[in-house]
Amino acid sequence: MEDAYLGQANDIILGQDFLTWLWYKSEALGGTFATPDGEAFALYMEQRISVQGGEGDAKETTSVSGLMSELKEAKAGLALGKKVCKAQIKIEVDSDAWQTTLKAEDFSQTSFKTPKVEFKQEEGDDPDASFLEKMYLLERGLGFLDAVYFEFLKLRFSETWDEERKKVGRWLNKDSQSN
Amino acid sequence: MGFLSASTSFTRYRIIGEIPETLWAEIPDRLKKNAFQDIDHTSDERSFGWVCFDEMLDSQWHTAPPEKGEFMAFVLRLDTRRISAAVMKKHYTLALNDELQRVEKEGKKFVSRDRKREIKDQTKLRLMSRSLPIPAVFDVIWNVRSNVVYLASTQAKLLSLFEDQFTLTFDLHLELQTPYYQALQLLGENRQHQLDDVEATLFV
Repeated sequence: MEDAYLGQANDIILGQDFLTWLWYKSEALGGTFATPDGEAFALYMEQRISVQGGEGDAKETTSVSGLMSELKEAKAGLALGKKVCKAQIKIEVDSDAWQTTLKAEDFSQTSFKTPKVEFKQEEGDDPDASFLEKMYLLERGLGFLDAVYFEFLKLRFSETWDEERKKVGRWLNKDSQSN
Repeated sequence: MGFLSASTSFTRYRIIGEIPETLWAEIPDRLKKNAFQDIDHTSDERSFGWVCFDEMLDSQWHTAPPEKGEFMAFVLRLDTRRISAAVMKKHYTLALNDELQRVEKEGKKFVSRDRKREIKDQTKLRLMSRSLPIPAVFDVIWNVRSNVVYLASTQAKLLSLFEDQFTLTFDLHLELQTPYYQALQLLGENRQHQLDDVEATLFV
């Protein structure tokens, strides 16, 4: 099958490698990440993950969801060489939480949730205050995602990527053997 | 669902190229020039254009200006008339039966292919004018400091319509922030060859 647009294959490779690595990394680090400025945040992949393998007509997707599940079937798919193509991601900083479903091939975001913003206006309030707070939170959430993507990219195009790749492989083997 | 909802689906863009300094003052006028045109009283199939972020019925920005802090916020409104296939089939059959009766009186036994097409078009137009356009709105938020633009949709057809309308209005080009373009932005142009030659990692 030909690409729907120029560079689509590179988008899929980068997006799927990233989400697959992110699942490993978030479990290996116990969900602890930091922005380039040193702000710590927690990031988990949970509840809903889709993995994909094969090409063209032989393409195969497995979607697994479960509230407290370890998503073993999706992980088993990775052990067979599939990659994460869509994942639900949760980010936490103190009592604030963000949630989104990120698609590997184009980084489109569905069901993006920020910490709650109060939209009830009181007299004398700036009419745009809630809008500005919402946008601040949305961009803050995206900032955390960009930070982990940047961390991935630095690793992905460095000499240590081969070592990191092996670590992901060991994590998968360990998990599939314990099943 | 828009950006002010509890949950939003969206796509992120970046404006590429230089933005002329004179553009900022022209934004309200450019939005008005490409504002949404109502089709309630016509039989047009669809209409799209910009409306006020705070009020989808306001295409003149009387309610509030597009500027909100460091953002420009507006809405892409798309109204579409849809006729269900079953309704179309019924009314086309009725019109065709009328036509058959008419030609039979003239001694003919069938309706030509061209005439059938004509009847179909007329039926569609008649039904269009009787059906109300269905409005849909998609929030657009432009961060004027970073020149990142957010669109509250992930549908491919709508994205393409939005990109064209944005370029037509502001004479600016948008780059969808897909993994490749975001990587280019984060790593810098000098790493482009690495991104172009990337091969899938075999983790197992």
